[in-house]
Amino acid sequence: MTLPILTVVDLRKSFTLHGLGGQVIDSLHGVSLHLEEGEHVAIAGSSGAGKSSLLRCLIRNYLPDAGQVLLHSAGPAGGETPPRSRPAAAVPAFAPESVPGGATIELTALDDRSMARLRGREIGYVSQFLSAGPRNSPRQHVLTSARRRGLEGTTAEQAVGEALTGLGLEEELWGVDCSVLSGGERQRVNLAAGIVSPPRLLLLDEPVSALDPYNREKALVMIERLASQGVSVLAVYHDMRIIRRVASRVLVMAKGRIVDEGTPGAVLEKHHAALEEAAA
Amino acid sequence: MSTAAILDKLDHDAGARQNSPRPTVMDEQGKREVRRASLAAVAIPGHQVPFGSREMPVARGWGSGGLQVTLAVGGEDDTVKVIDQGDEEGVNAVNLRRLIRGALGCAGTGDTREATIVQSRHRIPEDRMRVGQTLVLQVPVSEPLRKVEKSVLECQRMHAEADYSRIWVAMYEELAVGGMITTGASYPVMVNHRYLMAPSPIPRWDIPRLNHSEHLTILCHGRDKKIYAVPPHTPVAPVVFDDVPFEVEHTPGSRCELCGSEDTYLVPVQGGNFLCSDVEWCSRVRHRDVDAVEHAALAPQQYYPDAARRQSLRTIGVSDPDRQALTVGGAQAQTALGPDGTRQEWSLKVSGLTKVYPGSWGSSEVVAAADVSFDVAPSEALGIIGESGSGKSTVMRCIIGDETASAGEVRLAGLEDGRRNVFDLDLSARRRLRIGTLAVVYQDPSHGLDMGISAGGNIAERLTAAGWRKYHEIRSRAAALLERVEVPLDRMDDVVGQFSGGMRQRVQIAKALATDPKVLLLDEPTTGLDASVAAGVLDLLRELLAERNIAVVVVSHDFSVVRALTDRAMVMHRGQVVETGLTDQLFADPHQAYTQRLVAAARS
Repeated sequence: MTLPILTVVDLRKSFTLHGLGGQVIDSLHGVSLHLEEGEHVAIAGSSGAGKSSLLRCLIRNYLPDAGQVLLHSAGPAGGETPPRSRPAAAVPAFAPESVPGGATIELTALDDRSMARLRGREIGYVSQFLSAGPRNSPRQHVLTSARRRGLEGTTAEQAVGEALTGLGLEEELWGVDCSVLSGGERQRVNLAAGIVSPPRLLLLDEPVSALDPYNREKALVMIERLASQGVSVLAVYHDMRIIRRVASRVLVMAKGRIVDEGTPGAVLEKHHAALEEAAA
Repeated sequence: MSTAAILDKLDHDAGARQNSPRPTVMDEQGKREVRRASLAAVAIPGHQVPFGSREMPVARGWGSGGLQVTLAVGGEDDTVKVIDQGDEEGVNAVNLRRLIRGALGCAGTGDTREATIVQSRHRIPEDRMRVGQTLVLQVPVSEPLRKVEKSVLECQRMHAEADYSRIWVAMYEELAVGGMITTGASYPVMVNHRYLMAPSPIPRWDIPRLNHSEHLTILCHGRDKKIYAVPPHTPVAPVVFDDVPFEVEHTPGSRCELCGSEDTYLVPVQGGNFLCSDVEWCSRVRHRDVDAVEHAALAPQQYYPDAARRQSLRTIGVSDPDRQALTVGGAQAQTALGPDGTRQEWSLKVSGLTKVYPGSWGSSEVVAAADVSFDVAPSEALGIIGESGSGKSTVMRCIIGDETASAGEVRLAGLEDGRRNVFDLDLSARRRLRIGTLAVVYQDPSHGLDMGISAGGNIAERLTAAGWRKYHEIRSRAAALLERVEVPLDRMDDVVGQFSGGMRQRVQIAKALATDPKVLLLDEPTTGLDASVAAGVLDLLRELLAERNIAVVVVSHDFSVVRALTDRAMVMHRGQVVETGLTDQLFADPHQAYTQRLVAAARS
């Protein structure tokens, strides 16, 4: 029996631009979706369809106007708890019980502090661009992320090493300043920070777009491995071949709505022309 | 015939010739005033009591204070001895004695054993002072804090609050920079474990003689109009670190050229020889009129300097335990108790904070902060963003206590489990909060640091305020902190005023974290620095916050600072909180017009 992990109900988002006389730009017009544990769901659609906005609304990088984002925790109701190590004394553990609603958390209404704690531990988000602080090395950046997820000492160092090696980042680059890295290298550092000791739910926004075929292959292997670790993934890809390869299900978005969904084979066939055009 | 005997004869002859009383040197009312002040001083050992000082017929600095005490407490039955620099036959001593004898009609003596009142400057007699005797010391500087604080009011505050960390820092500085204590005369002492006192310019040699003494000591400064006292059997302890022993002046192998004494306070004379400072004692030794065994027991031999001990004072080392103590420092999260006794999440809670600058003639009322509320939990950082004049710094200053809020509450988990409103505390209690509970890093390092002392000394100030009294522990902790904030250790003993802006800010951060505070307020921590230095400091702060369980409030007009350091933020505009949210959300998806403008400005 699979367990639900994320339910999105009628999510809406628009932007009011006060600098432009209050002009309103609609982004999401009521998106609903459902994700189960271990599923890898891809979102396809042309630019401006709202794919990234959707991911950002889920992680609350954007504040949705309306709708619900329900994160189902694997609490006592779900039976077994995930075997991931919980943060020790260093970081207060996030307890879903402390959140109204018990084992299911409504993210759009969650207070900022709880949301900040939940981020990176229960939900991970990998944006297209690396946002490492100044003077931060790849090793340091990924280590921070690992520590945030409760890994400590040598365990954390080891996990960081595995993630960076798995993504093919040469070891001599681990200690350099992130600002000297190439675009592809940055994207891999970013991805490594996302998948090191992965949380139960990962949101990936075009995680391999800047990678050459060789490194893309390595990254995809790492992403594929996530599903086998029981991590649920919701990801945006532009490349149809990648969707066919890694996704168990695909959602097609257009103009802020989900217009179709199904297995990659069936859905991509149907929307082939429009999607290939968008990807090209 | 000695000089004194000749003068005595002159006195006698003159008195007989005129057969009339001496002119009144001090009126009865003045005497009563001095006696009252002396009694108050005895009642509060070491505390400086102000009094209405009278003009005396001696030059200022020549003992007008001591003279007033002696004239006020003395009478016909007394026998007075006056010492100047250990010598009762110096010009000043002789003149004062004549004046006193003439004014009181009392006897004079050179023999300490016969005296009931000994007025002195620079020395306590080498012979033992006895029960019933009064030692009157003329004081050139009454305020022991004067060398570290020029403001009289601030000195008074420090005495009132027993806040003597600055004097400890001065001691630290002498040891760290000079390798030894160089303060000679007027070495600061703690009287009765409460008041810091300047014991007039007696040498360190004489300090132990004040401790649990049998005699009464009254000290008076005529021009400062201050009287203070050490009653008999009162503990008097030199200010000294637990692990750096107090030392008296002593040259190994020295002995008096005249009497051969080795256990007296000796002064060097020409040719590399030494003489007893106390002329009376020296003469009595030569006439075998002393109790040598008793004196040997009184001599402060246990405080003779030990050169070998000084070797380690200037070394800088960071021990591994100190290093580790930094990273796990503040591991215990501290949160408040709610009304029902349950643990709250926050370490700092601000509710309804309002600051109104009232209108006055020519200016209208300004609401600098209106109903600002937030709380911060351990290992969480909250940003307050806004342009100049938005009220963000006002909020910060009200929390710190630099300004008085018009309304609202501030609670700290570290203060009575959060049940007490910080605004209800008096100023001294609020100042104490700053030592270990609530630390601040200012935009301008000169607000948080003393630019005139070393980097290590600045950190020592916070540590000594928190009660640290072991020099080596203070030094090692300071070194570990400076190493952590990437200040080169070979600059630890350099004056902060010589540091670059970035280095100063690093020292300020180290100082703020020295006592593992539970709440840290950062006020524009990188604003005064140029871009590359600011990035380094920002990065350091990010690391420091990540490895601690501290609750942090970051006030800045700079979005990038707030983004780098915080998870949550509030946007302030004209004293109002206009928007709150997750920091990245405020930047990516600002809702209010003002926030959008701010973000647009930050992006461009």
